[in-house]
Amino acid sequence: MIIYAGPLILGFLLGFVLGTRIKEDPESKLKFDASVYAVFIIAAVIVAYLLGPFPYYADAPLASGFVACAVGIILGKLIFGRSSPAVIEE
Amino acid sequence: MSTILKIFVFPATLVIMCLGVLTILGGHITPGGGFQGGAIIAAGFIFCLVVYGLKESPFKLSHDFMAAVESVGALSYVFLGLAGLIFSGFFLYNLGVDLYSIVPAFIQSIFDYPDPTHAGIIPYLNFVVGLKVMVGLSAVVIAFLGFKELESDKEEVQK
Repeated sequence: MIIYAGPLILGFLLGFVLGTRIKEDPESKLKFDASVYAVFIIAAVIVAYLLGPFPYYADAPLASGFVACAVGIILGKLIFGRSSPAVIEE
Repeated sequence: MSTILKIFVFPATLVIMCLGVLTILGGHITPGGGFQGGAIIAAGFIFCLVVYGLKESPFKLSHDFMAAVESVGALSYVFLGLAGLIFSGFFLYNLGVDLYSIVPAFIQSIFDYPDPTHAGIIPYLNFVVGLKVMVGLSAVVIAFLGFKELESDKEEVQK
């Protein structure tokens, strides 16, 4: 089985950068717990399967970059996206 | 905004962002590319900002982060162009493909994008353009929302 590293690495990198920006405000009433991310990863796999791979890609029946990005978002959130005070500046 | 929107928008935004990333990654073989994908990701950020507001949005884009990502995007584009100039004599020469066979094999292998099309530096250019556009479009909306809050604060002080 051939694995194309390009979309996996770049998709994971972009997703990781996006995931690090998810920081919940402890003072906010909005709470996004693990169930939100569980729903997201299930939805991401379904959407990736329905999208299918790019033309000429024969490594997997789903959009591998899409799944890599979803994994990157969740890992970025887990590693650097811990809750902290709002850091939005003007 | 309504409770339904507040529950729905965050997971939907994550899926929209993944779609934006996929648009960037497929820029060299499918319709789309760095600008379009970056705009889709920025649309995800804006979706969250409109629904949750600037203070309660789960995505926190600080000024330093936006400045850093925008700089990395622009500088990477320039460095890819300069690499072409240094190794081949042509600015933005596609070192990974090397159509004129003027670049050593190890340089070609460094800049080769590992996928079935072997598109060279084109996917990397899409990647850095996507970073820059994502942050640039988000910054505009964050600035507008910041100005709006500033004006409302001034009005409260005047009252």
